[in-house]
Amino acid sequence: MKIYDFALAPNPRRLRIFVAEKGLKIPVEQVDIFAGKNRTPEMLARNPAGGLPVIELDDGTHLAESVAICRYLESLHPEPNLMGKNSREQAEIEMWNRRVELGLFGAAGRAFQHTNELFKERLKQFPEYGETQRETTRQQLQWLDAQIGNKPFIATDRFTIADITAEVAVDFAAQLAGVTADPALRNLARWYQSVSSRPSANA
Amino acid sequence: MKIYDFTGAPNPRRVRVFLAEKGINNIPFEQVNLATADNRKPDFLKINPMGGIPVLELDDGTHIAESVAICRYFESVKPEPPLMGIDAKDKAVVEMWNRRMEFEVLGMAAGSFRNTSDFFKGRIPQVKEYGEVCKTAAVKRLEWLDTVLADREFIAGPRYTIADITALIGIDFGRTTQIRIQENQKNLARWHQAVSSRPSAKA
Repeated sequence: MKIYDFALAPNPRRLRIFVAEKGLKIPVEQVDIFAGKNRTPEMLARNPAGGLPVIELDDGTHLAESVAICRYLESLHPEPNLMGKNSREQAEIEMWNRRVELGLFGAAGRAFQHTNELFKERLKQFPEYGETQRETTRQQLQWLDAQIGNKPFIATDRFTIADITAEVAVDFAAQLAGVTADPALRNLARWYQSVSSRPSANA
Repeated sequence: MKIYDFTGAPNPRRVRVFLAEKGINNIPFEQVNLATADNRKPDFLKINPMGGIPVLELDDGTHIAESVAICRYFESVKPEPPLMGIDAKDKAVVEMWNRRMEFEVLGMAAGSFRNTSDFFKGRIPQVKEYGEVCKTAAVKRLEWLDTVLADREFIAGPRYTIADITALIGIDFGRTTQIRIQENQKNLARWHQAVSSRPSAKA
């Protein structure tokens, strides 16, 4: 088994944190997205959508999409549980993971793609659209702050994949999309401090 | 138990088709009119602070939002027929394909609609040029999907799954901005004909 990874991109980091929380050691191979190595014929044969991460199983099967890979690892190694122990929890955690993915993470991703130099040659950028997505990113951070309230974690009462997605999204928004969380968002700041001091955050 | 639904929107249809495939037909639906923004009113935001539809209300008052989270709940409480995979690897494969269909077909059709339609005028800041980019992306992904379906009956392999539901709804929703299956896309047309003629497609 091995993982095609890229240390600087947000989706591969979601998987690395997940793997670290599970206490697993899986070999990784770097694929430089900045140099377009994810679009070579070899990589497109592994993942025709061109994204990272991709996991290669021992039978040669390739699985793409971060959350699909996480779900595979969750099935093989159920503990510690990160995606729900029963029907109710699985639905609740998936709901929160998707809310953060489609809201904060998605908006930060679109802001990055439409405003960052890196994407100049790759796609048709609309800086005006990028700005609307920065504003959405700010709104989503406020929204998340209100939703976290006094809760220790995003979904259920323990650390789950929803925290991983949110943690990666907050860092990504700050580092690459030009939106840093306002320190006045106290709940968000408290939660962020807690999740980012876990050893997995360095993965 | 009940489901907050809106018959005119694509995401609620995903859950209705899923339930029809499961043979679950005893859950009451309550309409929430998106056209008059009833999903943005304070009472509804208590049910789903993201404001989206559909939402599942469990008998203990818990609310589960996000179509796929709702589907996962029903997959767990009623595993047959399986629509989200049968073992660890298959579950990951189905999730991978469902996510590809979500981001690249349904997501692009939605990006096209949100940024160009009169429906969203005044509701969100529209960037028409970006809507056109989404449309072009969706059209390209349909070309690719046609090649994927050359050697398999359904999107994720030999069995009908949630990925077919998402793709069906993405393609049907694409009609709102003239994203259509082309005449030379015989595999895609064959698949669309097959999934559209299942009784669930009318749900």
